[in-house]
Amino acid sequence: MSDAIVVSNVSKRFLLPSIPRGATVKDLVLRTVRRDANRDTYVDALRDVSFSVERGSMLGVIGRNGSGKTTLMRLIAGILKPDAGSVRLTGDIAPLLTLSMAFHPDLTGREGARIELLALGRSRAEAEALMPRIVDYSEIGEFIDAPVRTYSQGMMMRLAFAVAISVDADTLLFDEILAVGDVAFAHKCLRSIDDFRNRGKTIVLVTHDTEKVRQFCDLALWLDQGELVGLGDPAAVIGAYGNVVADLIAAED
Amino acid sequence: MILDSVKQLYRYRWLVVELVLRNLRLRYRGSALGVFWTLLNPLLFMAVYTLVFAVFLKVGVPNYPLYLLCGLIPFTFFGSSLQQGALAIIDGRFYVGRTLFPTVALVVVPVLTNAANFLIAMPFVVVLAIVLKVHLGWAVLLLPVVFLAQLLVTQAVVTILATINVFYRDVQELLAYAVSALLFLTPIFYKVTSIPIQYRSIIALNPLAALTDSYQRILYDGTMPDFSRLGYAFVVGVLGLLVANAVFARYREAFAQYL
Repeated sequence: MSDAIVVSNVSKRFLLPSIPRGATVKDLVLRTVRRDANRDTYVDALRDVSFSVERGSMLGVIGRNGSGKTTLMRLIAGILKPDAGSVRLTGDIAPLLTLSMAFHPDLTGREGARIELLALGRSRAEAEALMPRIVDYSEIGEFIDAPVRTYSQGMMMRLAFAVAISVDADTLLFDEILAVGDVAFAHKCLRSIDDFRNRGKTIVLVTHDTEKVRQFCDLALWLDQGELVGLGDPAAVIGAYGNVVADLIAAED
Repeated sequence: MILDSVKQLYRYRWLVVELVLRNLRLRYRGSALGVFWTLLNPLLFMAVYTLVFAVFLKVGVPNYPLYLLCGLIPFTFFGSSLQQGALAIIDGRFYVGRTLFPTVALVVVPVLTNAANFLIAMPFVVVLAIVLKVHLGWAVLLLPVVFLAQLLVTQAVVTILATINVFYRDVQELLAYAVSALLFLTPIFYKVTSIPIQYRSIIALNPLAALTDSYQRILYDGTMPDFSRLGYAFVVGVLGLLVANAVFARYREAFAQYL
């Protein structure tokens, strides 16, 4: 089997500008005069991460908050570029990340979905052609022409999920999507994900729900403080992760 | 680095087109006069400014309305791009770093939207020049070159302002004053010969003055533009864009922390 995702020695650091929040032009002048740009610092979000995912398999990414899971997703999606190492993908990708902000609140669901499709590299005509299926799958009805700010979290998630799967990409990324929305739709999502895998698509799922990883994934990846600390059979990785989390809870008590 | 931005923009060209068309539609939606607002707005200003500067203050420029429009319409392109562009990243915060939506698209959309408005309004100035019997020669063919230089200069300034505005929010407020000041410091209402000679070299540093001068020479004087000044505007535009893109690229990934 060929690899759909190859991540080699990837490191990512973020610039933390030494600019206070709510700074003014006065601060800009001071920053220039005092050469504060030299005092900007960096934070390591990922350090030397390497792994590969076979075509047609499903990877589950686990780890505590701030461990670098979302950064890793953004690197795979191509939203961020690694500072060192490389991310190689075979075929195209459709990421579905951080749902609370999936669409601009002032746009209608239809406009937001169209912009998302164009951002996924589709032409205007292709985006138009995909619309009916998106409206249908998301079960959003006439709300599709209402502003997104009137949507519930669940509706937003349904629409975002419908958009992500509509483009039929070779690889799909899902970051914490099962945590929002109702049980029925979560079930529908899982069915779609399963269906995708059966059709040879590659799937990456970030979740706190280790049970789902054990149940559905072929491979588990555990990140801690930006480093890869576990990779392999889901049951083994989740077992080790569970032990560490239990120790932490015990230490706190 | 600038190549990265260009490649991204090409890759997401449909997205950029969609957003520009959306802006244009939003602007004209629900107004019976539609696209004519683009013409009406400078014409209304033209009437007021002509009254004040040609009739009251007697600046002594023949065919004053034409002279004025040659500077005013390009300035509107520049000024509106700055005012909308400075907010571009802040207004687009729902997209920054969260989806594949490229942040660089946010800073070109306001400039392209105003460029479209400019291209709608500019033929009117050409028609007015013909009506007023300006001898329009081959120089008219250079108008796209002047436009391109202005596009580069405008995009450079907008990219810098949009980036800085993410971190220093009062840029937006200062900008309103800066744009007004620049409107009066550029020879749009008066001729450059009205400026005392010791200040002229300072005014000439303003790339917008060089661009305005080119439009005025082609469409008002009916002569060739001053190529050294047009060249200067190009150089400022290209260098400015390189610097602006470098600043943008350095801070792009830090935007999300401040939005």
